[in-house]
Amino acid sequence: MSALGELRSIGTKKVKGGSKAKTENKAAYLFLLPWFLGLGVITVGPMLASLYLSFTKYTLLSPPEFIGIDNFIRMIGDERLHNSLGVTFMYVFVSVPVQLGLALALAVVLNRGLSGLSFYRSVFYLPSLLGSSVAIAVLWKQVFGGQGLVNVLLGFFGIEGRGWISDPSTALSTLIILNVWTFGAPMVIFLAGLRQIPQMYLEAAEVDGATKWQRFFRVVLPLLTPIIFFNLVLQIIHAFQSFTQAFIISGGTGGPADSTLFYTLYLYNRGFANFDMGYAAAMAWFLLVIIGIFTAINFWASKYWVFYDD
Amino acid sequence: MKRITTRGARRSRRAAGFIAIAASAALVLSSCAGGTAAPAGDAPELSDEPVTLRFTWWGNDARTANTEAVIAAFEAENPNITIEPQFTDWAGYWDKLATETAANDTPDIIQMDEKYISTYGGRGALLDLNDAGVDLADFPESALDSGTLDDALYGIPVGLTSYSILANPTLLAAAGVELPDDETWTWDDFQKAGAAVSAAGGGSVYGAQSWGFEDGGLNNWARQHGDALYNDKGEVVIKPETLTSWWEYLLAITEEGVTPPVTATIEKQAGGLAESFTATNTAAFGTWWNSQLTALTEASGSPLQLLRIPTIDDAEEGSAFYKSSMYWSVSARTEHPAEAALFLDFMLNTEEAADLLLTERGVPANEKIRAYLTPKLSETDQEVVAFLDELADVVGEAPPITPPGGSAIEALVKQYTEQVLFGQATPSEAAAGFIKDLTASIDAA
Amino acid sequence: MTDTQTRTSAATEAILVSRRAVDPNWRKLAARRARGRSRPKALLKHALLIVTGLLMLYPVLWLVVSSLRPTDEIFRNPGLVISNLEFSNYTDGWTTLSSPFSVFLLNSVLVVLGCIVGNLVSCSMAAYAFARLNFSGKKWWFVIMLTTIMLPIHVIIVPQYILFSQLGWVNTFIPLILPKILATDAFFVFLMVQFIRGIPRELDEAARLDGCGHPRIFAQVILPLMVPALATTAIFTFIWTWNDFFSQLLYLTKPEMYTVPLALRAFMDATSSTSWGPLFAMSVVSLVPIFLVFLFGQRFLIAGISTTGGK
Repeated sequence: MSALGELRSIGTKKVKGGSKAKTENKAAYLFLLPWFLGLGVITVGPMLASLYLSFTKYTLLSPPEFIGIDNFIRMIGDERLHNSLGVTFMYVFVSVPVQLGLALALAVVLNRGLSGLSFYRSVFYLPSLLGSSVAIAVLWKQVFGGQGLVNVLLGFFGIEGRGWISDPSTALSTLIILNVWTFGAPMVIFLAGLRQIPQMYLEAAEVDGATKWQRFFRVVLPLLTPIIFFNLVLQIIHAFQSFTQAFIISGGTGGPADSTLFYTLYLYNRGFANFDMGYAAAMAWFLLVIIGIFTAINFWASKYWVFYDD
Repeated sequence: MKRITTRGARRSRRAAGFIAIAASAALVLSSCAGGTAAPAGDAPELSDEPVTLRFTWWGNDARTANTEAVIAAFEAENPNITIEPQFTDWAGYWDKLATETAANDTPDIIQMDEKYISTYGGRGALLDLNDAGVDLADFPESALDSGTLDDALYGIPVGLTSYSILANPTLLAAAGVELPDDETWTWDDFQKAGAAVSAAGGGSVYGAQSWGFEDGGLNNWARQHGDALYNDKGEVVIKPETLTSWWEYLLAITEEGVTPPVTATIEKQAGGLAESFTATNTAAFGTWWNSQLTALTEASGSPLQLLRIPTIDDAEEGSAFYKSSMYWSVSARTEHPAEAALFLDFMLNTEEAADLLLTERGVPANEKIRAYLTPKLSETDQEVVAFLDELADVVGEAPPITPPGGSAIEALVKQYTEQVLFGQATPSEAAAGFIKDLTASIDAA
Repeated sequence: MTDTQTRTSAATEAILVSRRAVDPNWRKLAARRARGRSRPKALLKHALLIVTGLLMLYPVLWLVVSSLRPTDEIFRNPGLVISNLEFSNYTDGWTTLSSPFSVFLLNSVLVVLGCIVGNLVSCSMAAYAFARLNFSGKKWWFVIMLTTIMLPIHVIIVPQYILFSQLGWVNTFIPLILPKILATDAFFVFLMVQFIRGIPRELDEAARLDGCGHPRIFAQVILPLMVPALATTAIFTFIWTWNDFFSQLLYLTKPEMYTVPLALRAFMDATSSTSWGPLFAMSVVSLVPIFLVFLFGQRFLIAGISTTGGK
């Protein structure tokens, strides 16, 4: 079961084990000691600290100064921030559905008893391991550059290319393509999910005279919804936090004309280039809230389309 | 690893104090900052023990070479002092300095820019160099003022420079355009000459390299219009009309094809000076700091001519100014202020260092050194000095110092120019947005 | 699950059962299905998959090929055939930065090893507690653990940075490794919990009857049995840490401490776009370890993300 499934089931039913078994607090806390320390010092402590910082003016060079909700008020009027939200939403809500759609389609094709499954799976999976590396971002920068690979190829067809990365109307698309390129990981998850669909369901449907498409839409897809849901939530959370590729490809600026200024990139620039740490902390908490809201919406909406076979 | 052991004592003390309060995040934060004031009192004394100083600068290969030569010369004279060099390009420099400062790990000697001096100096990160042991006798008062904030000298000006046009006479001749008279030319003349070169260039040579991507050009435009970015109190005072007219002009020359397509400009920028249109002989005019003449002549391999910036018809008197190309600053937290001052003194006041550094960091602000150096300079470097000297009768006072947070202007100019040139914002929208963003950035600092 | 869905599933089940009972042909039908479809169709599918695969790998292959070409050819030749084999990109790129590239590779290896050891030890301990021990508040701690999987790093990075910088740990590997030693990669804790749950409890019980305490049960019974989960953890940690850029960007600012991604970025900044050849060469060097891990650890990677749903 996925982490999300686990969360969902904790939310809806009692966890096994319960009060009857004797507790082993001492041993348990000993085993959990590193994790507890990490939770306190690395995760929750800094989280609370950043919550506090979000109400301060803090430039690192002098002590934080409490300013109430000024940072959040500034955020309301900050057009670069609004723009960066727009860029991020565009990126998330275009690249994730396309990526998942492609992953699902290929998983379904691969699952139909084709020979060479593991070979194809490897080929499609490899890019998702490489995709977040700086090396691939470097490659992308060349490939979509004014004299890059794409334009050379277009030149063979007599089409005049453009500077895909230096033109604000196409720069974001190159990043979306890069994210779609990494569809291998969700594809592998889909494949595993498809494997778990009991053959007899499909056979039963076939006996019933259902066409191939009907079988897919009426049997396979509903049974796959928990995995689609899982992929959707994780990929959305993941895409919201994208940073490296935009940073490398735009040279850290989010340009041209802020067209690749991801929210996280703007946050980094505010906090670590302009030393506006209080504002950066406020932005980080806002990001947490946004991700929380979208995850909550996802969970809520899942009631209507996710089919749990339990 | 070496550094960790030598600083171990300081670290573990800090660590112990930290662990004691680690549980409370709020306490952590209040204990983190502060304590940055420069040590006051007795003039520091030189030590006989081995001393290591970290020295950081931005720049290209030519600068790295001459700076390393100076370091070697200094170390030969002072065998107990080791200078540890650390250099990056401009873009990475400030991120890095900022994070190092936050981490209490500021290099001892810092190459500083005007846009950042108040950010660092005003927050106590820099040492007051007035009585640090550097001989300042040969520096003009006005130059020292540009590195002074609240009576503390946070940066000693290294060199002077001025905004200028570098023209490529070969390209102009090929297009049949005469070298303009730079004492009288206006922006209209500039546009016409540029358009003629672009027309003759057939898409491979352009009239002018676009210059709307950095604040030097904007500053210059503002001064010609009797305006300024900031006032003495560090407030943003530039008028929206000034900005609007600047972007309107940039847009006009871009649309007319005087400058290359915007996407080409953006791609070239990543390549720095060596990739610029001036260096690759693909634009007849380019705006540069005049001290860059030598580097660009070398890069392009063709003779280049320094010209004064065009003006508007009724330009403000004294709109040109001498800019301190950069400053030497010392970290307030340095453990060896005396040795740091000794090294600065060597770089600024000795003929030996001048022979190595020449004018690569600008024409020396030290007047005695400048007089010593001028006859020994290469032809192009002599042109740089002569250009500055001739400008003397038209220069005005330097603009007010950039307030803390004002360094954001770099990113803002670039971003709004791109928006204007790609048609995403009108010049007046860009002007309003620019003022708002710059003000917010300064308020937040 | 909604009512409709429950009903649908019940109906399907009913149909299944009834069909099987009354229709003697269902087996035949199923067999026909299993034999697969017509040959041309399968061929078409293979062709489609191969084309897609090539399209996906083309940029990477081109990167490798281009790194073996003179720079000026990179901008002209989109093909994958090398006519002038040129190794100078590798020798040039190796020494372009202030330290040779081996320094950055070594730094990356040190960070990766530290992270792997940290994750293996701390996550397996935490997982053992969550999977096998009863303790007060277990349910809530578990929920918190699962939630931290989804926490964006940005919300903790500012104070974390201040904390580590106050401790003087910037420009050391500690800020990169310590979080792993403290089991903050909850994804792996969860992966291991799942795995331990699948190990029969009888084995622990037997060990307990022999008088073993939890440390021994953990070390001598559970750990040896969870080697596949440990391998998966090690491999994912390797890849994620090797690729990680953001935290390394923050914490490592001295060139001699740079890891491979930082070195590549510095390389890109330091050299103008005239030296794509060496830059490509070093990019290839940086991808080789990932490729090797992928090649030899593929089984664990696939198993890992299939069972728990990786990134």
